[in-house]
Amino acid sequence: MSERSPTRRFLAGQLRRRRGDLLLATVAAVAAAGSATLLLGVSGWFLAGAALAGLAGPAAVQAFNYLLPSAGLRAFAILRTVGRYGERLFGHRAALQALAALRPALFAGLAAAPARRALALSAGEASARLVQDVDAVETAVVRRPAPWAAAAAAGAAAAVIALASPWAALVFLAGLGLQLAAAARLAPPLTTAPAHAQLAAAGRLKDALGAYGPAAVELHCFGLAERAVDAVMAEDAALSVAALRRQAGEAALELIETLAGAAAVLGVAVVVRDTPMPLSALAVLAALAGLEGAASLLRAAEERSRLDAAIERLDAAIGDPTPRGGAAPADADLWIDGERLAPGARLAIAGPSGGGKTSLLLMLVGLREAEAGRIRIGGVALEDQPPGWARGLFAYAPQDAGLISGTVAENLRLADPAADDAALWAALDEAQLAERVRRLPQGPDTWIGDAGATLSGGERRRLALARAYLRDAPWLLLDEPTEGLDQATERAVVAALAARLARTGQGLIVVSHRDEPLRLASRRLEVQPFAARQAT
Amino acid sequence: MGIYIDTCLDAQLRKLSSVTPYDAKLARRALKVWGRGADAPEWPVAALILVNVAAAAGFAGALAAAIAGPARGPAIAGLAAALGIRAAAGWATQRLAARRARAATSAVRRRVAGAILARGRGDPSTLGERIAAAVDEVEALEGYFGRYAPAALEARLAPPLIAAAAALASPVAAAILIVTLIPFGAAMALAGGAAAVESRRQFEALARLSGLFVDRVRALPAILAFQAEAAETGRVAAASADVARRTLGVLRIAFVSSAALEFFAALSVALVAVYCGFSLLGLLPFPAPETLDFRRAFFALALAPEFYAPMRRLAGAYHEKQLGEAAAARLAPLADGPLPATPATPALSDPPGIRLEGATLRFGELAIGPIDTTLPAGGLIALTGPTGSGKSTLMAAILGLAPLAAGAIRVGDLPCGADAAHLAAWAGQQPVFLPGTILDNLQAAAPGITREAAFRMATAVGLGPALAARPGGLDTVLDERGSGLSGGERRRLALARALLKPAPLLMLDEPTADLDPAAEAEIVALIREAAGRRTVIVATHSPALAAAADWVVALA
Repeated sequence: MSERSPTRRFLAGQLRRRRGDLLLATVAAVAAAGSATLLLGVSGWFLAGAALAGLAGPAAVQAFNYLLPSAGLRAFAILRTVGRYGERLFGHRAALQALAALRPALFAGLAAAPARRALALSAGEASARLVQDVDAVETAVVRRPAPWAAAAAAGAAAAVIALASPWAALVFLAGLGLQLAAAARLAPPLTTAPAHAQLAAAGRLKDALGAYGPAAVELHCFGLAERAVDAVMAEDAALSVAALRRQAGEAALELIETLAGAAAVLGVAVVVRDTPMPLSALAVLAALAGLEGAASLLRAAEERSRLDAAIERLDAAIGDPTPRGGAAPADADLWIDGERLAPGARLAIAGPSGGGKTSLLLMLVGLREAEAGRIRIGGVALEDQPPGWARGLFAYAPQDAGLISGTVAENLRLADPAADDAALWAALDEAQLAERVRRLPQGPDTWIGDAGATLSGGERRRLALARAYLRDAPWLLLDEPTEGLDQATERAVVAALAARLARTGQGLIVVSHRDEPLRLASRRLEVQPFAARQAT
Repeated sequence: MGIYIDTCLDAQLRKLSSVTPYDAKLARRALKVWGRGADAPEWPVAALILVNVAAAAGFAGALAAAIAGPARGPAIAGLAAALGIRAAAGWATQRLAARRARAATSAVRRRVAGAILARGRGDPSTLGERIAAAVDEVEALEGYFGRYAPAALEARLAPPLIAAAAALASPVAAAILIVTLIPFGAAMALAGGAAAVESRRQFEALARLSGLFVDRVRALPAILAFQAEAAETGRVAAASADVARRTLGVLRIAFVSSAALEFFAALSVALVAVYCGFSLLGLLPFPAPETLDFRRAFFALALAPEFYAPMRRLAGAYHEKQLGEAAAARLAPLADGPLPATPATPALSDPPGIRLEGATLRFGELAIGPIDTTLPAGGLIALTGPTGSGKSTLMAAILGLAPLAAGAIRVGDLPCGADAAHLAAWAGQQPVFLPGTILDNLQAAAPGITREAAFRMATAVGLGPALAARPGGLDTVLDERGSGLSGGERRRLALARALLKPAPLLMLDEPTADLDPAAEAEIVALIREAAGRRTVIVATHSPALAAAADWVVALA
């Protein structure tokens, strides 16, 4: 298929590395499918031959070679068992290992995508990509030996049917072809649209839960929990309709395939009706078994559209890697809205609520596309550079803290994975959080919950601050660093920050409503609200 | 007093016990109840299975007749009829089972979603895990009810009937089929127990991976800002490899049991063929109680694969059974727990007083208290204290939304530990809203309120300029991430929502943070005005707001 699909390219590379397992799976599948067909066919032939010999009298019984067929039956029975086990084990091992690599690649792709796309992906969407779409790809990998197994089953069946009548073999192959054509041609119209709808509905269901889940306290307080459940269940109803429609399509498809298979068996029975009994029994039973052996190929054909849809969505999430050339020089001057900042400068950004102060910080760290003409770094316009080009310059403490669920230490080490315990404590100390962390049951290794849920607002803020301190960057970007703190703590935080700036010579860009942190800045930039800026 | 505290504790503990260890019996019982609760009955599925068995016997008979002759024409017509009936019965079974499965799945999902949205603070599971429970784990039940349950029914009903049909032609062949069942059953039982343990571990690993992934996507801005993409990708890779390893562990055992099945299925066909062949040759080494002709022998042989076919289909659905049971064990405490009733929002009644009796709070790993005090009805009460001293947690505990480690909190004349949330309006430090417009959110708090009243309140809390600056005004749509409004605006909107709800208890967490002195004075006046008709509890650092309070509770 399209070599431009990053998911397919990645998968192809992974599968090349698991060639051994895939080959073993294919060999095992071929052995299993072929011997399953021969087991039933030879049973029928043996029975019919025995019946004729039994009728013909003791001489014929003596002449009848029963050793070979009965040994063959045992051998086929064992080969079928071992083959099926090998097919499953090796196929799944290859699939699981390839897919284990796809999930981190998906995350890396999201992280490398332009900020707008990555940040627009909601929690529910992300989870749907990770679980359902990756599962669809996994199934496809497991089914890779199916064509070979089907060919072995059909080939063995056609060969033994041809012993009875070549025409019967042709009829059998035609019936099989009809089945496959039905699966390939009818599967997309019957199942694609409902499968799309089902996955989209599951995504919407997750989004609805993702939106309502964090609001549990509010919902409860305002008596809205039931309304929220109803809204979630409306998405569930849509999911049910889509799932039943897909299932109806699949059931209809299976009905058509079963009827095509029945036609093949009947055709064989009609063609061989005048053939001697042992061979006709062989032919009809081999036809039955051969159809069964080809069934996994039908499943693979049916799942084709679901796989294509999943890969399309994974491609959209992974995207093509964006170019990431170079990094901004660490000692560069910054220009923000015409203000020139030499390294070590301290700037306060002020302005009314909703005026775009936070947006300006997001542009600096490349989490939002830079507006043309507002920011220059070392003489270069930021909007002309790839996203993340200037990230190395900044240690950022966002307004919403932006904590990961994990321990205090894990959150801190986001800034510096190699930081030792002493460095963590020093940063916590400067952010006035060391004493609090010391009181936690497992100190810095205490789990702080979903986005730091077990901490108070002010503690989250200070943890984000400590994390920014831990990063060795020429500029500190602090968004409302002391909001939610009492006056005493605020003063201590600001005093420690002042001492830090004097010691390290770091530059500071601070957004705040409060006087205390603003005092640290030597210059002030007024940011106008979007509407006001447009009007002038 | 002692008994009083104990019962209170007991109630709180029961609220907390959301996670119980995996219990296969519990899972099976839950699945049975949920399956029975589905709207569609099971008997039509059973009837279709019987039709299918009859058609299989008809097929075997017609096949033997078609090969042995003499009446080949009618036999082939019979063959066609049997194949047609089987195809139709298979189709109808699938459709019926799918409908039953969806009905059961939706019923469970409604209960799980309700339990998740009723969960207050103090629940340690991450949002991603909760979403996975309500969507993926509940969806795992569809496979259980839609594929495993009908396959299990067929595996119980069909083989004895197939053996009975085979016995009509050859009792010995039927006996061979039944005898191979014994070692097969033993092999399955051995593999099944081990598989259940592995399957649960795999499910937990998958839930962990899903939770990690969702959390890191949510925290992506911070990860990017710190250029920690590579390290976090490594974490996802490790969790992902763990899932792969555990999944393969589950599958290894599942494959051993299906190999046993394959083996005995193949063995039964081979044994029947060999027995019948030697019987027809007259070379049996033992005296047979029957004499076979070709038609009888062939009938028995054609039925032999049918005997194990339902069990092979069941093995194909075995993974669905494991996933369904593991999911059910995790979901049962959620889905079968009592859902807290949501009493209607009261019209503004008398403001309640609040008594704290030795109340000790635990939130996460933080302990606060014991606190003994009585907060006066109708007062403006300020909770002050340094950051992290437990103001927000105490407020949640008063509403019954954070667990009490000891002691009791009484709101008005409600019993201890009762959910006081319906009496209260609440504006938190990080407010969240329903997806919808600003007006929707205000009207949701105070049903029946007019657009004008909502606008007046929004203006009163200082949202006037923000609304004027947006083309949508009150119809501005808020999304999941609450974007569209700045942090300060969101806080004001939460205040407006809380003030609009006609509740006798008003809880405000840092209502004047981020405000300049002029705006703060306006809000303090607004809160002051609300007190009297309501009991107002504010957590604050603001000296101005604390000075306006009737009562100050200082937490150390």
